[in-house]
Amino acid sequence: MKCLVVDLSRCNGCYNCQLACKDEHCDNDWSPIAAPQPETGQFWCKMNETERGRVPVVRVDYRPEFCGQCDDCKLLSQAPECVYRDEMTGAIIIDSEKAKGRSDLVDACPSHLVYWNDELGLPQKCTGCAHLMQDGWTQPRCVEACATGALRYGDEDEFADEIASAVHLFDQGEDSHVFYLNVPKRFVAGTVANRAENEVIIGAKVEFINEQGETVNCTETDEFGDFRWDEADEASYQVVVTAEGFDPVTLVADCRGKDVVFDDLLIDQQ
Amino acid sequence: MRIKDDTAVHNLGLESFGGGANIVAADAKDGKLVRIHPVHFDQDYTKDELNYWKLTGKNGTVFEPGMKSLTPPFPMVYKRRTYSKNRIPFPMKRVDWDPEGERNPQNRGISKYERISWDEACRIIAGEIKRIHDEYGPYSILCQADGHGESKAINTPHGCMTRLLSEVGGFTIQARNPDSWEGWYWGAKHAWGMDPVGQNTHSTGTAQDIAQNSDAVLFWGCDLETTTWGWGGQLASRMAYWWHDCGIKHIAISPDANYTNVVHADKWFPVLPNTDAALQLAIAYVWINEKTYDEEYIKTHSDGFEWFVYYVMGNEDGVAKTPEWAEPICGIPAYKIKALARYWARHAVSIAHCNGGSYIRAAFAHEPARLEVYLLAMQGVGKPGRISIKFIEWVLFGMSSCSPLPTSKVIPNTAACYNGPLIGQGMESFVPKTKIHKALRGESFDWYGRGTSANPREDQFEHFEFPAPGNKPVKMLWSDNPAFMTSLNGGNEFQDALRSENLEFYLMEAPWFEDDARFADIVLPICTKFEVSDFGTDNDSGQWSAVTYEKAIIPPVGEAKSDWEAVQAIGAALEQYGGIYEGCVQRMTKGKTVEQQVRDGYDNCGIAEEERDWETFKKRGYQLIPTHEGWEDDVVGLTPFADDPDHNPLETPTGKIEFYSVPLANNFPDDGIRGPVAHWIEKGDGHDDRLSSDRAKQYPFLIVSNHPRWRVHAEFDDVEWLREIETCKVIGPDGYAYEPLWINPVDADKLGIHSGDVVKVFNERGAVLGGARVTERICEHAVYMDHGANADVIVPGVGGLDRGGAINLICPTATTSKNADGEVTSGYLVGVEKVDVFELAKRYPEQFNRNKFYDASYGQDVRDYLVEEE
Repeated sequence: MKCLVVDLSRCNGCYNCQLACKDEHCDNDWSPIAAPQPETGQFWCKMNETERGRVPVVRVDYRPEFCGQCDDCKLLSQAPECVYRDEMTGAIIIDSEKAKGRSDLVDACPSHLVYWNDELGLPQKCTGCAHLMQDGWTQPRCVEACATGALRYGDEDEFADEIASAVHLFDQGEDSHVFYLNVPKRFVAGTVANRAENEVIIGAKVEFINEQGETVNCTETDEFGDFRWDEADEASYQVVVTAEGFDPVTLVADCRGKDVVFDDLLIDQQ
Repeated sequence: MRIKDDTAVHNLGLESFGGGANIVAADAKDGKLVRIHPVHFDQDYTKDELNYWKLTGKNGTVFEPGMKSLTPPFPMVYKRRTYSKNRIPFPMKRVDWDPEGERNPQNRGISKYERISWDEACRIIAGEIKRIHDEYGPYSILCQADGHGESKAINTPHGCMTRLLSEVGGFTIQARNPDSWEGWYWGAKHAWGMDPVGQNTHSTGTAQDIAQNSDAVLFWGCDLETTTWGWGGQLASRMAYWWHDCGIKHIAISPDANYTNVVHADKWFPVLPNTDAALQLAIAYVWINEKTYDEEYIKTHSDGFEWFVYYVMGNEDGVAKTPEWAEPICGIPAYKIKALARYWARHAVSIAHCNGGSYIRAAFAHEPARLEVYLLAMQGVGKPGRISIKFIEWVLFGMSSCSPLPTSKVIPNTAACYNGPLIGQGMESFVPKTKIHKALRGESFDWYGRGTSANPREDQFEHFEFPAPGNKPVKMLWSDNPAFMTSLNGGNEFQDALRSENLEFYLMEAPWFEDDARFADIVLPICTKFEVSDFGTDNDSGQWSAVTYEKAIIPPVGEAKSDWEAVQAIGAALEQYGGIYEGCVQRMTKGKTVEQQVRDGYDNCGIAEEERDWETFKKRGYQLIPTHEGWEDDVVGLTPFADDPDHNPLETPTGKIEFYSVPLANNFPDDGIRGPVAHWIEKGDGHDDRLSSDRAKQYPFLIVSNHPRWRVHAEFDDVEWLREIETCKVIGPDGYAYEPLWINPVDADKLGIHSGDVVKVFNERGAVLGGARVTERICEHAVYMDHGANADVIVPGVGGLDRGGAINLICPTATTSKNADGEVTSGYLVGVEKVDVFELAKRYPEQFNRNKFYDASYGQDVRDYLVEEE
């Protein structure tokens, strides 16, 4: 069984995967594996982006989303007469010549990765580029187009070590063959400065305390007076900043809904 | 299943001028493009054959080029660009332009077009050329033949017409300005030489030097995840990841959280647009005050430092350039400026650039560019891990010393088959690009410097005037680049100039009906890449230099001809006039076929004869050139200068880094804006664009216009697959796809603006509409709008209104400064307000309703501008 390993720490958000997929499937007819995809609106490979943080700590999370070619694919059970699993790649394929009018298949995929082509009256989805693989290609277009190595494709056995630490995203189940590495967690960031001297404070101790009262991380402000913790959960923390000669300051970092970037913490000497 | 019939390798770089980048394999089937994808070098070469390189950074972290081309997004969508709905289908004539009668120049940009045949078009054009020759002389034909465009050599998108006109008496050419390098070109060159564009040309081995020796790199206005895409590829992105893996701190300095910052940065200093000079001066102040600069290096490697100290410490104007002074100007708290200065003094720090943006193309950009050189000098530039590096143009103008990565043993070129003028050539009669407005209006004017990006520093002191004595004004504009109004300075003023009575004939050759083309009198349809055969190169990938045998794999779209064929057709029509015109086509082409020219290009590209193999080259479609032998022992960057400046001088008069430029002092003694020592300049020379200015009461935002994320200047604005990406367009309540305007939530809140609102961005020069994107990716008091959106003119000219969001329509026409003809297309003041687009539509019903074929998915459609489709 083939799998796709997505290393999010190497995704630069260039959208090559999404664009290459469109290049392969828009304006091209690979029936019965895939009829032409409409010029817009379908994303068999779909890049998602989320802006995080606020000035001056802002990141964008790029997360490409792919069909999991799931073991327990609902399409396969719901429409065995027009859906099949490609032997070579394991990709789930909707036969474009047999699936006319089968709008029910659009709702069959819990990940919403089956699209309705109104013009052709067809449900459509990722084919794992089966038509290319049958022609001797070794990678689907999305993977071939990836310039940073964020996307890798191959037999699941080859990736066993990495898969052990990988997760599934987008509510895909354990039977998905798309694995994500290095999924970012919430971050908390701030800058500490001495108000009277108008200088950043270097080496201030910063403790993160969870709702159970446990210290889950302890760090120090760096040469810019900055602290940052990238491993927060979607939870609320107390952040205690202690600098020599200053009264400790306690802040609340509520990471449940979003990352937290504090206003610069200007503190006064005792 | 048949997945293709044929494959061709082309470069899809967009630098033009005979250069090239971004090689790809394109497959065709049944006469149509089916896919464009990376080239897999390992199918044709072993690593040994390529003398494969590997670099090693801290902790033994390895960086290597890989064995496939690292294609950026633009080539991926070239199929849609090729088959764009906005391709010019056939020759067209503006309906109310009559060369025998009324020319109606005032209606350029307003009136529609009718279809004409190639024969009729060529007959009219030839007649106009003859008439202008007779009435005014050959120098009254201005060729606008530069800017970015498809990288083709034989069928070059820029300048084929100069080959014809040079056979029939000559021409005037628009001098290609050093755009994207403005500050470095007009400023940094006076501090450290580095001809021709003023950026570090001593870059050999510096990528590895940084990986091994730097603690941090300042990405100063640097967006390698955007600017590299048109002409470089994605090795730059991989290099940024490599440095991260080496533990090197990535510090971004720019008003916007650009596309590099939000992926790679460890820290961001949000500096207000075009206030970098204040930040730099404050850093210098801290170093001087705390004696934390490299005093010994300054003594031995620089000249005139005391002048700079005198200014920084406030002896000249009574104002010490302290961090507290800089804070309200640049928007960064003094405590952070001090921390940055001290970090920089304590660590090995380099600077990275990727051209463009507010840092280098705002008013007085020569000042931050020079100040950067000063700061580098104060920390011993050229010592390990202390250098300035670029992520783009790695062998600029064929100079392998510009590349921070190991280069191929030959940097190939297309000169032998290039049918345009190389930058800086054919300059017998010329006008600076940034002053073309005056030329079109028929004015006489003067200036300093040829000012192309290929001229040496001394060129900036030469005086010129136009028209030259005895010559007449410009009367005809022959353009093959319709992107001036969206990409250069003073767009609305340019529209007015195009509509002046002085301009009798405006001819445009272009593949797409965009922007300036809609003001032309005759428009000729031109082929794109895969419709023509050509010879190309790829020198900027950072992997290996390549040459390409670019065969045509699809037929021309519509009635398109290549630029080379179009010009020949015009030449053929001219021959009927006899005299100098007789035989002009033969003289121009020398009777060579395209195939013969490809062969000429290959045989003379620089690859040694024993390493050329024509048949294999044709069969594979490309040839890679191995890394030069001994690259491991290359001298690193500016190390020789750092080690022994007397024997390894720079290109400055003293051979050292010049804090005080004697040539500037001598040549421009009265220039208070670009003086001999870089200063903070509040206003002057036509610019009054500070938040502290009175103008800021009406126009309270400084605008950032970068190289666009989803375009190359004006190109690609019609690609459906790009336009549906979240950051590409904002769909307004009227269903129109507006160009995004980024605004910080604090500012948006004050103005009652929400994401998705249609907003007006304006100043005295006019207004453009945009779609609001309320975002933390831009700091307060600044807004961001990429340049290059295709104009959709509601009211033309100064004070006008544009729906397309072509922001350069309202940028200044005034140049960098009086004696520096750079464009100022970022960092100027604008106002922003929410508009009711339905009210606007009522006020301008004709303009808002003319787009019958407009589709938000791809934008404007040439059919809306044709009379017969009404």
